[in-house]
Amino acid sequence: MSRRPPRGEYIETDTGNKVARKANLVGTQNIMLGGKTVIQPEAMIRGDLARSVQPSSSSGGAPASNTAVAIGRYCFLSRGCCLRPPGRLYKGAFTYMALRVGDHVFIGPGSVIQAASIGSHVHIGANVVIGELAIIKEYVKILDGTVVPANMVIPSFSIVAGQPARVIGELPEGGHEAFELRELYKTVGNNPQPAPS
Amino acid sequence: MAPLTPYTYIQCPCSDASTLGRQADGDSPEDDDLDDRTFDPRAPRSNYSLYPLDYLNYCEDCQQIRCPRCVAEEIVTYFCPNCLFEVPSSNLKSEGNRCTRSCFQCPVCIGPLSVTSIESQPDPNLLAAPDGTPAPHSGPYILTCSYCNWSSTEIGIKFDKSNSIHAQLAKLNNGGTARLTAKDHKERRKEGSHGLAGPPAAPAPTAAGNGDDNEELDVETQFANLKSFYQSQLADSTAGSSGLAGLTDLGFSSPTSLSRIMSIYTGGTVHDRRAKARPGTMREALSSDEGLQIASLDESSAIRELHEAGYDGTISTEQSTNQPPHLGEVYLHGSSRFASSLRPIPYLLRTKRSKRCPVCRHIISKPEAKVATTRFRIKLVASAYIPTITIRPLNIPSSPIPGTLPPLQPSQFILTFQNPRFETIQVTLATPAKTPGRFASKVTVLCPQFEIDANTDVWDEALKDSSDKTKIRRRGAAGEDGTHQAEAGKIWERGRNWVSIVVEVVPASLRMDLLEATANPLKEDEDVLEIPMFVRVEWEVEAGGDEVGTAPGRDRETKERCELAYWCVLGFGRVSQA
Repeated sequence: MSRRPPRGEYIETDTGNKVARKANLVGTQNIMLGGKTVIQPEAMIRGDLARSVQPSSSSGGAPASNTAVAIGRYCFLSRGCCLRPPGRLYKGAFTYMALRVGDHVFIGPGSVIQAASIGSHVHIGANVVIGELAIIKEYVKILDGTVVPANMVIPSFSIVAGQPARVIGELPEGGHEAFELRELYKTVGNNPQPAPS
Repeated sequence: MAPLTPYTYIQCPCSDASTLGRQADGDSPEDDDLDDRTFDPRAPRSNYSLYPLDYLNYCEDCQQIRCPRCVAEEIVTYFCPNCLFEVPSSNLKSEGNRCTRSCFQCPVCIGPLSVTSIESQPDPNLLAAPDGTPAPHSGPYILTCSYCNWSSTEIGIKFDKSNSIHAQLAKLNNGGTARLTAKDHKERRKEGSHGLAGPPAAPAPTAAGNGDDNEELDVETQFANLKSFYQSQLADSTAGSSGLAGLTDLGFSSPTSLSRIMSIYTGGTVHDRRAKARPGTMREALSSDEGLQIASLDESSAIRELHEAGYDGTISTEQSTNQPPHLGEVYLHGSSRFASSLRPIPYLLRTKRSKRCPVCRHIISKPEAKVATTRFRIKLVASAYIPTITIRPLNIPSSPIPGTLPPLQPSQFILTFQNPRFETIQVTLATPAKTPGRFASKVTVLCPQFEIDANTDVWDEALKDSSDKTKIRRRGAAGEDGTHQAEAGKIWERGRNWVSIVVEVVPASLRMDLLEATANPLKEDEDVLEIPMFVRVEWEVEAGGDEVGTAPGRDRETKERCELAYWCVLGFGRVSQA
C-alpha cells in the first residue's frame, strides 16, 4: 500500500498487541485481546455486535460481561479478514453470541469468521468462510477457500477443505510445531525483525 | 501455472529393497549394485515412500525413520466428530461405527444437519418483539442443513422428540411411515398365529398382510429373517444327523458351509464344533418370512418417477456412496436412485490411534485417551531427530516465465540444514551428477560434507542472543560489499545449530526435438526439477551402560558413534518450457 506513516504503521500496546492503524475495529469496548496479537491493516472486528439479550434467568445476578470477540495470545489477523460474532435465536429473540478465539490462531487474508469458538493452534487459510456457530477445536488446519457450514464441529487434528468443508486429512504429529506463531509475531510491527532462515 | 514452492520429501526405509533384504542377517556383505543404485524420485513406486518430514516418526530403539505406511496403528479411542462423545468399543460391536446420538450429515451436500422445531420456525419476526415470552419449543422437529437448505421434510420425515434422533429415524421410513424392525415383524407374526385381535403396533407400510409371502422387506429385516430361517434349518439338520457326510458337504445348501458363512456374517454365534458330520442338503427360503425376496423386475414405477422428477430428482454417485448401508434400503437393485429416497447420514466415528514401530514393537506415538485433550504421552517425531532441510533460491537467471527455472543455465540454491539434536552432527551429502529420468539436469553440491553444531535450549539462545549474531557468517567468504560468491568446499553460512550450503543446478531443456528417442509428450509434472539426495548423518552419544545391545567388553569412556542415512528428494521448481 502507501508508504509507512511516520508514526509507525502499528500501535503497540503494553501487552504486546500490534494493531494496525488502518485496522477497522468497531465497538472496541467489547473486544478483548489476550496480548501479543497482530491485527493487520483492513482487518475488521465487529465488537458492536454484542449480546443484545441478557440471559436474565441464568448467571445468577453477576453482571455478564458483554464481550463480543475474545482473542487469545499470539493470534495473527491478516489483511482484510473479518471477525463477526454469530447470531441466533435465543428464547425467541435474536441475539449475538460471543466469538472466542484461542492462542496461536492464524487467520488468512480475506477470511470471514463467524464461529462460536476457535481453539488454540488453528490455521485458517485465505478467503475462508466459517459459518455461524461453527466450533473449531485445537490443532486444525483449514485450507484456502474453504466454506465451513454453520453449526459444524471440526475435531482436533483435522485438515479441512472444500465447499462445504469436509475433513480431508489428519494432521501428522510432526506438524504441531508449525502452528506456533511466536516467530511470525516478531516479523511484523513498527521495527520488524527478519524471519529466521 | 502456479509457481512451485520448493519442497523436501524424505524416503522411508521401509520401502527400500536393500534394507528389506538385509533385515534378517544384519552383517551380510555389501552389495555393490545396491550401493550404486540411485533413488529415482520419478519411479512409480516412489510416490508411496516419500513423505514430508512432518509425517514421519522415528523409532529410538531402531534408530530409524518410520512412515505412516509402515507403522502399526492401534485404536485408543472412538469418538463422534460432531458431538465429540467417546463411544466405548463395546457399543461399537452392537451399534456400528456411526454416531447413535443426534449427529447427522446432509445426504445432499454432507454439511451438518441441525434439529429445528417447525413450530417456532415460521414466525421469528413476531417473536423478536421484546415481550420476553419464551417460545415453547414443541411439536414436530426436522433435520435441516444450513448449507444447502435440505430438510428432512423433503423425504417426509418429522420427529416427535428433539433428542435421540438416530433411534427415531431407525423406526421411520421415508414418507413418515413406520418402519418395522425384525423384532416387530416377529411379534406381529406371533400375534397373527395366535389369532389375537387388536391393531398392530404400527400401520404396515405396504399392503402386507400376515399371510403375504412376497412382502417387501428392507435389507436389515431380510437379513434377520434369513438368519433365523437358516438357524432353524441348522438346528433341524443337527437333530436328524446320521452318518455319511462329505460328498454333499459343498455348495450353498450344505449345512457345514452354511454354518461357516453364518459364523462369518453373524459374529460366530451359530458356529459350533458339532458341525463335523451333517448329512444331506437343506431346503431354501420360500417366503418373505424366511427371507426370500423376489427381484422386482418391473421398473415401471422407477421410470414413472424419473418422468416426474427429471434429472434433478436423481442422486449422484457420490451421494449414493455416502449413504449409510442397511437403512431402509429396498432389496435388490437396492441402492436408491432418487432424491426422495435419501436418508440423513449418521456421522462416521473417528479414532485416536497410537503407533508402534513395525520392527521392535515399541510405541512411537500415543495420544491421551480423552477426546478433549490434544496432548500426547509419547510422541517421537522425525523432526526432532533428523535435520530439517529448507530450500531458498540464491541466484537464478531470469526466465521468460516468472517463477520457473530457465533451462541450460546454472541456478543456485541455498540448502539450510537445521540440527534438532543436542549433539553435534556430521552431515555427508551425495547426489547423482545427473538426475535420473528423461531430462537429465546437472547437479553440483558445492559443500557435500560439513558439521552442524548441537541444538541448545531455547533459553540459552535467548540469553546469549548478542553473541549469536557474530556467529552467523563465520565461514562465509564475505566480500567487501556484502555479496559473497559461492565457493566449492565452503559452507555458505552457519548459525547456532544450522548450516547452509549452496547447490548449483543446470536444468535440462525440455524441448522434445532434442530428445533422440521417440518423443512422448511431456508427462504430468515432468517439468518439475526434482533431485534425489542421499543424506548421511553421524553423531556421537555417550555409550550408555544400560543399553541392551552394549557388549560387556566395550570401554565405557568412549563415545558411541551412530549414523543414519536416507534418501530425500528436493523439489526446486518448474523448468521453463519455452
